[in-house]
Amino acid sequence: MALKVALKKLTKNKMVYIIIAAMKTEYAVILSNVHKTFSGRKEPVLALQGVDLEVPKGEVFGFLGPNGAGKTTALRILTTLLPFERGEAYVAGIDVKRNPQDVRRCIGYVSQKGGADSYATGWENLVLQGRLYGLNQQNAITQAESLVNTFFLKECIHRLVSTYSGGQRRRLDIALAMMHQPKILFLDEPTNGLDPQSRDNLWSKILELKQAGITIFLTSHYLDEVDALSDFLAIMDHGKIVATGTPSILKKQISGDIITIGVPKSFHDHAISLFADKKDFLREISSEGGELRLHVDMGASALPQILRLLDNANIQFETIQMSVPSLNDVFLKKTGRFLREGATQ
Amino acid sequence: MNLLKEIGLLTLRCIRASLRNPIFLFMGVITPVIYLAFFTPLLSALAANGSLGVDNVLTLFIPGMLPIIAFSTGIFTGFGMIDDVRSGVLERFRVSPAKRFSILSGPVLFDVCSVFFQSLLFIIIALPFGFRANPLGLLILFVLLALLTIVTSSFGNAMAVILKSEDRYGPVVHGINLPVLLLSGTLLPMTLAPSWLKIIAHFNPVYYVVEASRSLAFGNITSINVLFAFLALIPFVIFTMCWATNVFKKVVT
Repeated sequence: MALKVALKKLTKNKMVYIIIAAMKTEYAVILSNVHKTFSGRKEPVLALQGVDLEVPKGEVFGFLGPNGAGKTTALRILTTLLPFERGEAYVAGIDVKRNPQDVRRCIGYVSQKGGADSYATGWENLVLQGRLYGLNQQNAITQAESLVNTFFLKECIHRLVSTYSGGQRRRLDIALAMMHQPKILFLDEPTNGLDPQSRDNLWSKILELKQAGITIFLTSHYLDEVDALSDFLAIMDHGKIVATGTPSILKKQISGDIITIGVPKSFHDHAISLFADKKDFLREISSEGGELRLHVDMGASALPQILRLLDNANIQFETIQMSVPSLNDVFLKKTGRFLREGATQ
Repeated sequence: MNLLKEIGLLTLRCIRASLRNPIFLFMGVITPVIYLAFFTPLLSALAANGSLGVDNVLTLFIPGMLPIIAFSTGIFTGFGMIDDVRSGVLERFRVSPAKRFSILSGPVLFDVCSVFFQSLLFIIIALPFGFRANPLGLLILFVLLALLTIVTSSFGNAMAVILKSEDRYGPVVHGINLPVLLLSGTLLPMTLAPSWLKIIAHFNPVYYVVEASRSLAFGNITSINVLFAFLALIPFVIFTMCWATNVFKKVVT
């Protein structure tokens, strides 16, 4: 009873604070109602409009959204680079606003630009980075040697960074961020501009880091990348989180499977009438050009029924194709447009 | 981690990069040497008719040129910092626990080293032309040069971080460089100036350093000019370093 009264006395904000305090050791990253406004030339730009996010420890988290959605702003706040007006942000249980110095010690960050010094060798970059994080010369050398092996940098490490290939450079960037063995690694568009082979290579490195128990916070505008790597993802649009979940759960929210049948336009009305009462397996049917698009719950069981109906009605079709919904369909549903079209500013 | 160790590491980074291209260290002396070769003959003509009040123009001109080396090395340093902003190096340092003061001081201390090197080289080049200076006076002068470099290099680095592009940084620093040079009394002594110009010159801290520099080279170590130079510079050192550190703390790159 006394507890109830005590709880009632707490303002709503204090309650939120207590809940966060209880959660913050469970999650690698917490954002709670974070707002960020930039003073634009004509009018203020609302970059983040009340972002709430929790990222569990030890997972790969994918942060998806078109350019200008606010991903990098959120990342900059979490990496202590940007002050913010309202809300709370915790990284590894540490308050970013009050204790940025402690946050810096336990995170690694690879920005879009990379951050390796072109006018120094890879080795000099690594050792300096280690020393800036407080390692002594000997420990910095030991750690640098181990990372050179992990990231296959042996052949180029004593050359100037300006001579590196795109893939070598990216591997060095990540090695730099790993010099002080952080618990959480932030990667901003890590594979942007890499050739497919370097990209696959980097993906496997990211998964290895996850195996080693590191939480990876990754932003991307490549859907396949987030799909392949992340255990958990959030979609951001216009400064707000519009969806969160695992890739498979998000994709299941979209109508099971999509079956596309190539049928001449003249048969479309007939075909649609055939399927009109088949609500048990069909969610939606639409006619587009020379194609019928059927959204079904379970593609594998629906397909034979569809084929039978078409055959019985003597409707000849040219092609038939089944596809699973992609994150692009998820994105389309949540934001009303394809990721590739970019954000409208 | 120890502040001095951090600054040392970050200065060493700049020294390494500059030793890879040592030619640029020598380039800094080329402009003063061109003045020495093509401008001092003009001064000699004035000195001959007694307008300057000295016999050897070099005792006037060389000490006056040293503060200009310090000033321009510092103020043009931002071009290197723009590179660090663009390549993300600065952002990487700012995510590390290194103190923002160290991140600023590394390149500033490098500029001080570079000014010492260039000044020594310039003095050595001037010796065969007949330049002579008081050694103790030069020692104190180098302290003044270090302070002046700290002011302009902190300012240049902070402006680079704010402006983020050569196109914007270039006009700003060129716009500052020319009036400061003309009002410093380096090229022609301010004793020749009309009184309104003299008054403006007194608002230019570099003017006091140039005056002190000449006194020190003559060996007038106890000259009031030396005291004025320190009094003019020290508040600037404190103010620009605080402001620049704050810029490194807050700026969005």
